[in-house]
Amino acid sequence: MDAEASRSQLAAALARVAAGDRAALRMVYQDTSAKLFGVCLRILNDKSEAEDVLQDVYVTVWRKAAGFDPGRASPITWLVAIARNRAIDRLRSSAVTRRMEPIEAADAVSDPAPAAAELVELAQQRQRLARCLQELEARHSAAIRAAFLDGATYEELAQHMSVPLGTMKSWIRRGLLKLKACLEG
Amino acid sequence: MSENDTIDPADAGSLVAAEYVLGVLGAAERREVERRLAQEPTLASEVAFWEERLTGLADAVAPVSPPQAAWSRIETAIGAAPRRRSVWQSLTFWRSFAIVSATLAAASIAALAYIGLVPGARTPLMATLSGSAGQPNFVASVTATGNTLVIVPAALLTNDPRAFELWLIPSGETRPRSLGLVQPGQPIRLEIPSDLASRVTPDATLAVSLEPPGGSPTGLPTGPVIAAGKLTNL
Repeated sequence: MDAEASRSQLAAALARVAAGDRAALRMVYQDTSAKLFGVCLRILNDKSEAEDVLQDVYVTVWRKAAGFDPGRASPITWLVAIARNRAIDRLRSSAVTRRMEPIEAADAVSDPAPAAAELVELAQQRQRLARCLQELEARHSAAIRAAFLDGATYEELAQHMSVPLGTMKSWIRRGLLKLKACLEG
Repeated sequence: MSENDTIDPADAGSLVAAEYVLGVLGAAERREVERRLAQEPTLASEVAFWEERLTGLADAVAPVSPPQAAWSRIETAIGAAPRRRSVWQSLTFWRSFAIVSATLAAASIAALAYIGLVPGARTPLMATLSGSAGQPNFVASVTATGNTLVIVPAALLTNDPRAFELWLIPSGETRPRSLGLVQPGQPIRLEIPSDLASRVTPDATLAVSLEPPGGSPTGLPTGPVIAAGKLTNL
């Protein structure tokens, strides 16, 4: 399915979910659960925690679908944001110290997995993100990617990349400012 | 410029949306951003900007199919799972035909959830009290401890000024015993008199009759029975 069709189909399904249609939630689940589970699992690094959060995510979708505004966000963005926020909140609330992916893995993620292609929408925007990230210093973009994918705090990232906290903050903030200018430009 | 060059505070302030979306903030800072989001449209649109632009990074994560059981857990959590008891089907029926206001439906569910949570020695009991046309007028549930009954009005569309009295007709008996007055417009919890508690069993009947204000003066129903149903194990 092409990206535009996928997007409008998801948006339509979410509108039906907002009206209380359980079959529509099931459709949304079938289309997106593998992606969202992958995202949660990457952040939490624990299958049963990720499963808990996934449940929470779709219950949230069920309750809050009426708040989804297709004019403001694409459906997959909205869903990924819910999944990441829930997973990050779970991570922050758990006392367990988490093992992070080796940073090399974070560096190696610049090639999007082809398996996710059916969910890729707004391809131009993605290309632009990729181009803008390439314009950053390698370690800045690596830190930004690692932060996004692992949901790690500044402290965790600094420790993981063996740099002082101030340095890590500076890398990421500098990277974000440049990224913003590039994305807006 | 050195790596530790400080960022202009104005820039740092404008980056909080990006930092929130990126996920580098601690729990307390995240709550603070979320609190501000409700009041600051500018911040909200900055968050939306970053969410939209950075979502592409998630493409780097390989999709992983969740376990089969995950969907049924979600279905259960939203109350969509098929239930064995017919009373659940009638609940669904009421809701889908919109003859129960949203509030009352929520109250029914709350009552069901409540009895499910009480640890007790007895199986919770439940009854759907229907009118002569078969329409469900009340749903009643007996808590697992057996001494409290929650009764929720469903589709009763009446402004009859008379009182609504709830009766128990124990299994194998014909004489109704009063359980007290109920309200047509709100869920109500009644204590079951201790001498009746042992007779609140499956196959006992609950009925609601219309009575003079204050309830039946005779101790037996004097007005029309507007709803009745048998108790069953939940």
